[in-house]
Amino acid sequence: MVNMQRRVLLVLLALALPFALAAQQPKVVTVDSSSPLLKVKVTVKAGSAADPAGQEGLAYMTGRLLLEGGYGDPKKPVTKEQLAEITRPWGEGAYPQVLVGKETSTFSVTIPREVFTDYVARVLRPLFTEPLFASTELDRVRKETLEEIRSALRFQRIELLGLLALDNDIHNGTSYAHLTEGTVRGLEQVKPEAVRSFYRTWYRPENLTVAVSTQDAVIVNGLREALAGVGQRAGDAAALSPRAVEAPALVAGRHVTIIGLPKAIATGLHAGFPIPVTRADPDFWPLYVANVWFGTHRDSFSHLYQVIREERGYNYGDYSYIEYFEARPMYMFPPTNSPRRYQYFSIWIRTVSHDHAHHLMKALTWELENVVRNGLTPEQVEAAKNMARVLYLSLAENVDRLVGYKLDDEFYGLTPGYLDQYLARIDAVTPEAVNAAIRKYLQTENLRYVVVTDQSVADKRADDIANNRSASGKTPKQYQLDSEQREGVQYWLVPEGRLKTLQQDAVWEAYRLDIPRSNIRIIKAEQMFETAAMPQ
Amino acid sequence: MRPKTLVRQFGILGMLLAVTAPVLAERPPAAPAKVFPYAIHKKTLANGLDVVVVETPEFKNVLSYNTLVMAGSRNELEKGKTGLAHLFEHILFRHAYNGQAGAYQDLMERLGTHNNAWTWFDITFYHPLTFTSNLAGRTLGAEQLPGVIELEASRFAALDFNEKIFKTETGAVLGEYRNSSTFPTLRMSERLLALAFPDHPYGHETIGYYEDVVAMPDHYEAARAFYDTYYRPNNCVLVIAGDVKADEVFAQAEARYRDWQPKPVKPVPEAAPLQGPKREQVGWPADVAPRLYVAYRQPRFETASVETALGQLLAELLVSRSAPLYKKLRFEKQTVSELAFGEGTQGFESFDPRLAIFDAQLFKEQYAPKGAAYFDEVIRDIEQGAEDLKQFSRQKDAKQILQTLKSKYRYDFLAAMSSPAAIAQILAWYYRFERNPEVFEKLLGSVERLQPKDVDAFARKYFVPQNQVIITLAYQAAKAEK
Repeated sequence: MVNMQRRVLLVLLALALPFALAAQQPKVVTVDSSSPLLKVKVTVKAGSAADPAGQEGLAYMTGRLLLEGGYGDPKKPVTKEQLAEITRPWGEGAYPQVLVGKETSTFSVTIPREVFTDYVARVLRPLFTEPLFASTELDRVRKETLEEIRSALRFQRIELLGLLALDNDIHNGTSYAHLTEGTVRGLEQVKPEAVRSFYRTWYRPENLTVAVSTQDAVIVNGLREALAGVGQRAGDAAALSPRAVEAPALVAGRHVTIIGLPKAIATGLHAGFPIPVTRADPDFWPLYVANVWFGTHRDSFSHLYQVIREERGYNYGDYSYIEYFEARPMYMFPPTNSPRRYQYFSIWIRTVSHDHAHHLMKALTWELENVVRNGLTPEQVEAAKNMARVLYLSLAENVDRLVGYKLDDEFYGLTPGYLDQYLARIDAVTPEAVNAAIRKYLQTENLRYVVVTDQSVADKRADDIANNRSASGKTPKQYQLDSEQREGVQYWLVPEGRLKTLQQDAVWEAYRLDIPRSNIRIIKAEQMFETAAMPQ
Repeated sequence: MRPKTLVRQFGILGMLLAVTAPVLAERPPAAPAKVFPYAIHKKTLANGLDVVVVETPEFKNVLSYNTLVMAGSRNELEKGKTGLAHLFEHILFRHAYNGQAGAYQDLMERLGTHNNAWTWFDITFYHPLTFTSNLAGRTLGAEQLPGVIELEASRFAALDFNEKIFKTETGAVLGEYRNSSTFPTLRMSERLLALAFPDHPYGHETIGYYEDVVAMPDHYEAARAFYDTYYRPNNCVLVIAGDVKADEVFAQAEARYRDWQPKPVKPVPEAAPLQGPKREQVGWPADVAPRLYVAYRQPRFETASVETALGQLLAELLVSRSAPLYKKLRFEKQTVSELAFGEGTQGFESFDPRLAIFDAQLFKEQYAPKGAAYFDEVIRDIEQGAEDLKQFSRQKDAKQILQTLKSKYRYDFLAAMSSPAAIAQILAWYYRFERNPEVFEKLLGSVERLQPKDVDAFARKYFVPQNQVIITLAYQAAKAEK
């Protein structure tokens, strides 16, 4: 009888075990590649938006510490130095990297296929399942991150400062509103116990997705099994309660934030507003084509680039976006694995001379307003679709990107995947759909601007904008026009092609932004990123 | 189209390539002699133009069409006229195909091309990416569009531009300089290069001096002369990778490029040996973290030389996360937040000897109490790290370390070959030195043959005070106005 019972129990256990394990294993998605190198990416569905208020930076520190805080037996830990030694013969890609976004934390490695088993046993499994989060490493990473914020982000990269400031400002008041790396005050509050809590709460098999560049069942199963125990060894750390992630609100009217930098020799311009569209929406595709026409990132094809840089030579480039684009300005194409459920439309005018900043602020607004008013012609839509198809070559350039998009597809719930449907979706876009999407989602009444400029001209800039002062663009002389003297008067000789430019300049100049002084705030670069709220 | 590349962006590109995986059909070979998995085909036209083709048929309908011009800021020999090579990179996109303003760019767009380029000290690289079906042309409605090969041949062999276009582009270049002007590193590099190369065009940044960029609109004639001198078939290489057949490319290249006239290129005078050590402090008006460069003159790149091979492993030996120097500074003493080679290894893969630059980012809060002594301490540690390499072979595990580094090098090389565009760029980068299609095998072979004693010898020869230039940068509050 007893034996019988035990046997039944064992049978039941045997039946239950695969289900129990299956429930605890992460999902694995694949890309088929015959490369001798394997790309593996692991996404944890929690990023900086899950940082508890006052501890901004916790998700970032958890990601970094998972890699640098040691793992394995606490008495004989595998330190980050040993991790580097283990992975060194397998190439730079074998040392794991992490990218923490608002909604996800993604770990990536590239390893030779033939070391897969070894790699799982010595690195992947213990790294994810037996992390130690050494507090000495927490202190070091925190110190380095604070230095990065206080020095590099505030003072050294005028363009990045503007891009990040707009990103924060658009989401002001929500859990998206702070840097993914954290805030100065938040990082100071992050304790080792909190890192363990974050790990315990979010680093769980059911909250993980793995993507790998092979369909080899041995490898796929190996990954699934290796990560089945994630999150179980978190000690007695308390679980965190999930933080609400809210859609950003549309601001009423036009608002300007002027950020003053010491000794900036040029001004950067940014503007944007939230849109309720992600790549999971059918409207994404016509809006995407519209944006390719209006402001493709770093490509001379687009309208903004044509009118501001190409025709008038104000700066290096002028772009617009319907999705957040990580790690500008350096990347030519959007990196994968910073997906967001809330997106915004934005315009980026790269640095121009201080004298022309006000003029171009009007120009960018007028140009957007104009496209909203008139839409695109069928020819413009066709050209944009052609350009969009070419972009596909770069978006799908290599295995790293293919694997990365697979993970983002999981986030957005896209089947077929983004790249899988890309070309067919572009082909199907009609001019009517493009113009409907423009009318539905784009507007200029409710805008947030960010202007990054020299501290000494910030006040004047604010007054000029508030008083609707006329702001002229380039002079005929700056346009290199020829002139002649007639009866003591200098006449500019305007070639036919230039006449249109000058006429449009006058339209831009006369355009009224109508922004009251009370909608303009001036802050200093050193105030940025101190807390989750924009400085006032 | 065509954002221009400055020094540090190339470094980033190198980094990017290194973390991406290739789509290769073969297993990684054990012997270095077969590391590069594709055959490289080469034909030299009668006018001296090298056409190099890499067939990668598994990248369906992908065409990476690249033109390498063997002239960069190194060829700007006239004082006050720096930045012309980079400016030309801009001008080439303004080509008036068939005499029509803007026609080149317009046609490339209508064909469907992602078109871009970058400029470096030694070279300028143009790299449109498109569909293979655009190589020879395309019918669009009733219209027959010329192919990429025709449009590219036209702008290189018979560039049509005028002074107005030239002046508009100078505005874009000035904007580009402004973008970089909040980077303290641009100022540091400018001073470093000026001290390291007082008599050689490596002495200025690719973008040129600010005063020269501002004055550029007046340099139209000099710009024309630059084009006439360096944009010649004997000074250029076509590198084409993708879903193509070499024979077809050769035939079309022959037809399109044969009228391009060659002209001998004047050699650039060699730089005199560095008279180091030199050191300079740069003050910065914003409250940025202190930073320092410790640079040493390196040998020029010679594919099969022991020194060049050693140079390929130098970053791994000194500034990688497993390097003793790196671990000491960033992890043990925590006196730096980052330590790397400025410009990466590419910085000294050059026609003439350039620099290996230790780039150390320091902490504000340690600088506040210690001041210049903090710089001195980090500099001493870096010098000691370089000094230690002189005894490298005496470590008991020297052979093992070197073996590990060779293995890593091979995998990194393979990982970098991730797409036709990446393959073409890396091939062009190394091919240029000796115009040898076997360049990868030669380079990997010479790395494979390295012995521990080679490390000692290299360090003894190059890490010496005479070869050294140091630049430090720290916040300096503006003086109160009187």
